[in-house]
Amino acid sequence: MAKVESNFKNMTATLLVITLVASAALGLVYQSTMEPIDLAQQAKINNAIKAVLPEFDNQPGNEAYSVAVDGGELTFYLATKDGQPVGTAVKTFSNNGFAGLIELMVGFLPDGTINKVAVISHKETPGLGDKIEPQKSEFSVQFEGKSPENFKLLVKKDGGDVDAITASTITSRAYCDALARAYNELKKGGKQ
Amino acid sequence: MSKVAQLTKGILRENPIFVLVLGMCPTLATTSSAFNGMGMGLATTFVLLSSNVVISAIARFIPDKVRIPSYIVVIATFVTIVDLVMQAYATKLYESLGIFIPLIVVNCIVLGRAEAFANKNTIFDSLLDGLGMGIGFTFALTLLGSVREMLGNFSIFGLPIIPKEPFWLKEVFFHDPILVFVLAPGAFIALAYLIAIFNRFKK
Amino acid sequence: MDSKLVVSPSPHVHSGESTRRLMFNVVLALMPAFAVSLYYFGIGALFVTLLSILSCVLFEYLIQKFILKVQPTITDGSAIVTGLLFAFNVPSNLPWYIVVTGSLFAIGVAKMSFGGLGSNPFNPALAARVFMLISFPVQMTSWPLPIESRLKYIDAVTGPTPLAILKEGLKKGDTISQIADQIPSHLQLFMGVMGGSLGEISALALLIGFAWLLYKKVITWRIPISIFATIFVFTGILWLINPEQNADPIFHLVTGGVMIGAIYMATDYVTSPMHPKGMLIFGLGIGLLTVIIRVWGAYPEGVSFAILIMNAFVPLINRYVKPKRFGEEVKRNG
Repeated sequence: MAKVESNFKNMTATLLVITLVASAALGLVYQSTMEPIDLAQQAKINNAIKAVLPEFDNQPGNEAYSVAVDGGELTFYLATKDGQPVGTAVKTFSNNGFAGLIELMVGFLPDGTINKVAVISHKETPGLGDKIEPQKSEFSVQFEGKSPENFKLLVKKDGGDVDAITASTITSRAYCDALARAYNELKKGGKQ
Repeated sequence: MSKVAQLTKGILRENPIFVLVLGMCPTLATTSSAFNGMGMGLATTFVLLSSNVVISAIARFIPDKVRIPSYIVVIATFVTIVDLVMQAYATKLYESLGIFIPLIVVNCIVLGRAEAFANKNTIFDSLLDGLGMGIGFTFALTLLGSVREMLGNFSIFGLPIIPKEPFWLKEVFFHDPILVFVLAPGAFIALAYLIAIFNRFKK
Repeated sequence: MDSKLVVSPSPHVHSGESTRRLMFNVVLALMPAFAVSLYYFGIGALFVTLLSILSCVLFEYLIQKFILKVQPTITDGSAIVTGLLFAFNVPSNLPWYIVVTGSLFAIGVAKMSFGGLGSNPFNPALAARVFMLISFPVQMTSWPLPIESRLKYIDAVTGPTPLAILKEGLKKGDTISQIADQIPSHLQLFMGVMGGSLGEISALALLIGFAWLLYKKVITWRIPISIFATIFVFTGILWLINPEQNADPIFHLVTGGVMIGAIYMATDYVTSPMHPKGMLIFGLGIGLLTVIIRVWGAYPEGVSFAILIMNAFVPLINRYVKPKRFGEEVKRNG
């Protein structure tokens, strides 16, 4: 069979057919993956909340509210069990990381003490700043069970109570900055 | 060329990474661990295989002047499918590969095989070619990822090869891995040595 | 046809220079700095230096003998210089396995992979130093304090370098006068009483070595002096604009790796331009990059990065600034 000639009519028709078929196929795939993708997204948020709060039985993702602060946004997730509040997870951030933005999820118990902290995203140097990740070092453990009321969220070098990561003072400062921001907003919000 | 050779040429003799040196961007960027390398390799294999088959089937009906845009549309469709499916069912891998999944569209190997092979061969040969090239690519990425993970993280597929808290003293032997290998410069160094070794044994 | 290509107006006169003699002079010129280092850092300095030299020479021998299968050339002394310079660029409490890994990197990756002495585009000791810095950031940036650490190796008392104090302080929002009392005086810095890599601390000792190299005509003044001048002028301008945010030029000259980098690393024959004018361009580039990294970069010190970056430009500089060919007419002024 001879090759199809490259005239205007043939070219238009070919491209039209190919793009039509392609978009139809994509539409189909999109339809069928929409729900799993939503579920996966929700599971991700829920997992992050689960990692920092005691057990809960509601869907904190549905009872979230956001506050714009310092050029960014803090999101508060309220967790309850049998209708009783068990804590608030706060998605917080700091722009002062060694490589820019650091996003954390902090779990506060109803009395304002920090339950646990998880890292959502960061671009810190591997081997130095990435020790803020709980699986990489013990750094984040020192915050557990402490109330920012009497545990000063500053590195020791700046007169606070936090043991900075060796050779990563800047990252440690940014981490404290994110925690302090979450705590201050939590107190202001008064939605405990 | 026999059907078997059609399949195996992509694995060793014409390995896309070690011999053709194509698709360097995902190769260097996604091989920070063996698992990521393998995930990237498998995603690319799927795209390569499907686009090769489809393109060899429709190549006859496409006018020459619009063949490249047509191929790209076909490839982009398959890449988007992979993107959506991974997002739904392999969220963790999807996050660590990030932007490099959509970038498979511009991977030289995919368009290269479409232009150099699929549009002038039968569907079955194109299928074998795509599969072989995909296996070769996956093999290379997994190998590179393993080497980098072993040196740069002291683990392979996430399993530590040196215990996290070794029993020996910090002063006596390595406690911390050689970080440079999980960073960009390490990718170039590891790839260069793998190519050198590969060439030495190919002779 | 072939005979046309042979240019051979014999007899030739041998200049008496050999790689071995050059390397010997470089080693000799580094001895004052080594003595200072032994005085301040004691056994740590001795151990790291010996280990580094030994492993560099051993790796060169093993690679040439068993992988490249050529006659080993360890007697030319270039591996000794690489080992010595690598040791001079690391802290004196560096664990032994990092010293050995660094030596393997210097000789194996940065030198032999490119074809050995004369073919390497980057200074092997510096390349190794930078790769170890990226790989082991904690160990490579914990600097033993001078004198206190004399009798200690691994358990040395550590503290930040003056440049790190400066960077840290400025980042926190302090001014120069607030930071000043944490930093030793200029005279102390000149003598080398500060934390730092074991061979880079004493500007005085390194300058004595510089004088020796100039006297022996091993190197010319162009690269080191153009680096010093660029750093002095650039930081001088910044200092005049705002003395509360920028350290003075003398401070920048005597701290960190400026002296050892400019005198011993940037002047490496293999990785620096051939033409006098090219050398000045090369020095200017290193000076500018060093200051840019120090003032605006993430790392407190940038000499090694600056030299490596400019190493990459050497082929380009050599292409545009060519030495006159032998026999070509040289224009004289006036």
